[in-house]
Order: sequence, then C-alpha cells, then structure tokens
Amino acid sequence: MAIQLSKDKIDEAINTIIEYGGDGIQRCVQCGACSSVCPGVQAGFPVLCRLLIKKLQDGLLEDIIEEQSSWGCQNCNRCTEVCPQGVRPQEVVIAFRRYQANELAFSTSTVSAQMQLHDIGHAVFTEAGELREGVGLPGKAPTSAYNEKAQEEIQAILDNSPMAELGLF
Amino acid sequence: MENYGLFLGCNIPFKAPDIEQSFRKALPALGIGLEDLEGASCCPAWGTAPSFDKPTWCAVSGRNITLAEDRGIDLVTGCNSCYGILSEAKHFMDAHPELKKKANELLAHAGREYKGTSEIYHVSQVLHEMVGPEKIKQNIKYDLEGLKVAVQPGCHQLWPSDAYKIKEDNPYEPTQLRELAEALGASAPHYSRLSSCCGMGGMRTADVEKSLGLFAEKMRSIIEELDPDIIVTTCSSCFLQFDMSQPILQERGLIPKSVPVFYYTQLLALAMGFDPKEVAAISKTPREDIIKEIQSEKRLVKEVA
Ligand code: SF4
Ligand code: SF4
Repeated sequence: MAIQLSKDKIDEAINTIIEYGGDGIQRCVQCGACSSVCPGVQAGFPVLCRLLIKKLQDGLLEDIIEEQSSWGCQNCNRCTEVCPQGVRPQEVVIAFRRYQANELAFSTSTVSAQMQLHDIGHAVFTEAGELREGVGLPGKAPTSAYNEKAQEEIQAILDNSPMAELGLF
Repeated sequence: MENYGLFLGCNIPFKAPDIEQSFRKALPALGIGLEDLEGASCCPAWGTAPSFDKPTWCAVSGRNITLAEDRGIDLVTGCNSCYGILSEAKHFMDAHPELKKKANELLAHAGREYKGTSEIYHVSQVLHEMVGPEKIKQNIKYDLEGLKVAVQPGCHQLWPSDAYKIKEDNPYEPTQLRELAEALGASAPHYSRLSSCCGMGGMRTADVEKSLGLFAEKMRSIIEELDPDIIVTTCSSCFLQFDMSQPILQERGLIPKSVPVFYYTQLLALAMGFDPKEVAAISKTPREDIIKEIQSEKRLVKEVA
C-alpha cells in the first residue's frame, strides 16, 4: 500500500525537527552518503541518517516515535562530515531524539543518569576513593561530585530548563 | 610553562584514575602545566541534556567552559566525548548568537556567563601540536623500538572537523596518534578499520550485542592485519570498550587472543619511566607482561636522565 502523504503531517514533522535543532532537514536530497559511513547503520540500527530523514520528510513523525535507532546513534558526526548538502544529519537524528525524549519515548534506564546529573553533576559516577588513592591521587576528584556550590549551580540551570518539566528530577 | 585547565569528565576520574594520573605525571614533565577546574561537571554526556534540549546542553557545557574562562586559560580534556560535546557546544554558541543568548539566560540562574574566550583542546592535540613528537622523543627513558602499535583515535576528535580547534588533514586517514606512537620508538602502521567506530557510547547502552558486533569486526581487522603488541587510544570511552570487551569476545571465541590496551599518555608515562602502579594500574585485559617488557633494562635509553 502506498504511503499517503499529508501536507499537515509533513509540515508538523519538519517544523518539530527544526524546532529541536535539526534545521538542515529541508536540504536533504536523499543521496545516502551519510548512511554509507554511519556505524549505527552498519551495526544494525536501520532508521538513521538517510532513512530517518526520509520518514520525517514524509511526515511520519508520530508513526516512528518508538523507533529505537536514534538511541543507537553515536553522535560521531561522520554523516555531518560527508553530507554534500550541509544537512548535519546528526543534528536531525538528535533533534528526533529530543522529540522522543520530550514525549518520554526513551528507555527508563537513562532516568538515573539524568537524576545523577542533576544531583551531583555527573551522568556517570561511582564512589572511587579507594581506586584513586591506589594510584596516588586524592580520593576526592576536584569535580562537582564533591563541591556543593557547583551542585547548586548545575541544579539552578537544570531546574529552570525544559528538562525540569518532564519530572525526571 | 603553558598552563591549561584540566577537564576530567566522568569516566577518567571515577573509572580510570590511572589515566588521570598519567596526565598529571607526563604533561608537566613535558612543559604543559595543568590547573584543576574546581567544580567541573559532566560535559554533559550525549544521553543526558543534549538528548533533551540544545540550549540546556549548551548551558551545562558553557558552565564548564566558564571555569577556564574565569582563569584566563584554555581547557584540555582527555575524554573524546567531553571534547566533542564541549567543542560542539562552543562551535554552535559562537556561531549562533540567539543560542548563546538562550544558554546565557540559563547560566544567569547560576550566576555565570559564557563569553567564548577559552579554546577547547584534546590532550592528544596538545601533545602533538604544543609539545611535538621531537620533544617527546627527547624525553623518553625507555625506547619502544620493535613494538607494533594499533592506534584508535576515536570518533569525537575527528568529526565534525569544523567544530575542532586543531584538525587532522584528512579525518578519515588520521595520522596524529600514529606520529605520537612513533615518537616513542614503536611502529604504528595503518590498518583498514583505523578510523572505524569501536561501538562504545550510546550504541552500547542501546544494544550491547550490536555494539559488540561492531567491536568484534574492528578487533579482527586489528589482529588479522597487524597482529600488534599494543593497542593505544586517546579516547577514554574507546579505552573502556577495548579493555572490558576483549575478554567477552575471547570467551565467545570471536577473537583468537587479546591485545594489551593503553591510553596514549599511559604508554608515554611508562616510556618516560613513571611507576606503572600509578600510571597504568587498572585493566581487565591483562597488560603486566608488556609493561615489564616496556620498562626492561635493554630498552633503557642511556643518555636521558
Ligand atoms: S552521528 Fe549518528 S547518524 Fe551520524 S554517522 Fe554517527 S552514528 Fe550515524
Ligand atoms: S548525506 Fe546529506 S543529503 Fe545525502 S542523504 Fe544524508 S543528509 Fe541527505
């Protein structure tokens, strides 16, 4: 069955992607250069680069909201480097991911990373005092993890950001 | 001595502090002073703020950059993810005043303002450009002659090249890390998947099997084409993938052997004679034998103090 393209759906998809930072989407001519160098596509996440852009250009934004390929993107920007149209495909991919994230269509396993970023300023953290002292460093790294003022600053930024509205922290 | 603000990120201080120690030992001995950026946070990692809102990403990155701006110095990091994220945030803010304004509105809540006065460098660029292979050669105590190295520069110091202060002539055929390895006396030949992705990062979180599949292809290319003594990388994420996933591939019979892996400054610090218990102490893929080999009597370069 042929896909029925609807102008309203196309406009909504394109405008959403532009709003989330993927403003190059309209310049894509579907040449496929990006997909040919994409490690995500190579590893088996099919809806990245050219194909993701195609679906969005066809207005299939909501239809692919659960698509997991965007989360396999390495943000490596090989696609950005090769695109002859200056699309910055990685920006389109991550703009789509932002749409998904803001609709809470992402893995719940990432929530703890958002909470840790908010609470101590680190997405990845393990108490590493012994490990550090073992190699001759002070147990406490000079980062926000052990710095109350830094933590307050980070919270002030995140609490006033759109992320705060999602109830992640 | 030229001073840089050392941006640690998350992986290096909490998972691989021996890499941090190798920066702190090797760089000052080569004339690069390191100042701690007290209170620096996560870059923020791709899976966090950048996946939700661009201005929020730029504000958190921007806050980290202001720590260097406050001191009037440039920033150096050894984590490719941090390098990519901070460089891209800076690139976008400097090119788009309205984005910079939005980021600064968020930063104002933290009493800060991003100005754009500090540059972002990677440790490998500082070693390659500011120190240079010649000076490295003059400062090594143990010569790595006869050892073969497979290099892994990592995605986030190659692309997008427009965001980076120092670039390779051709990011698909990178040579800087090969030259840095050769400065230690080792050989560092090209191999077909040199610039391929190792599968770490978002991909590993999203689907570990797909990530391991990509990594296995890379490892087979390395072993079949080079059969190297050592793998060396300047990306802490790549380091973790090569270190923690080789035992898994070996157990599944997907690679015939494992290859010892080092972050470049660990190899450099060992060649300079620093204590392996400080600069190369933590790994899952065994590397004790090659460390002994590197710091053996026969490799001692007599004329260096
Ligand atoms: S940034 Fe993402 S979409 Fe682009 S080449 Fe890398 S993995 Fe593929
Ligand atoms: S390389 Fe650019 S123009 Fe070609 S398909 Fe990818 S995004 Fe579109």
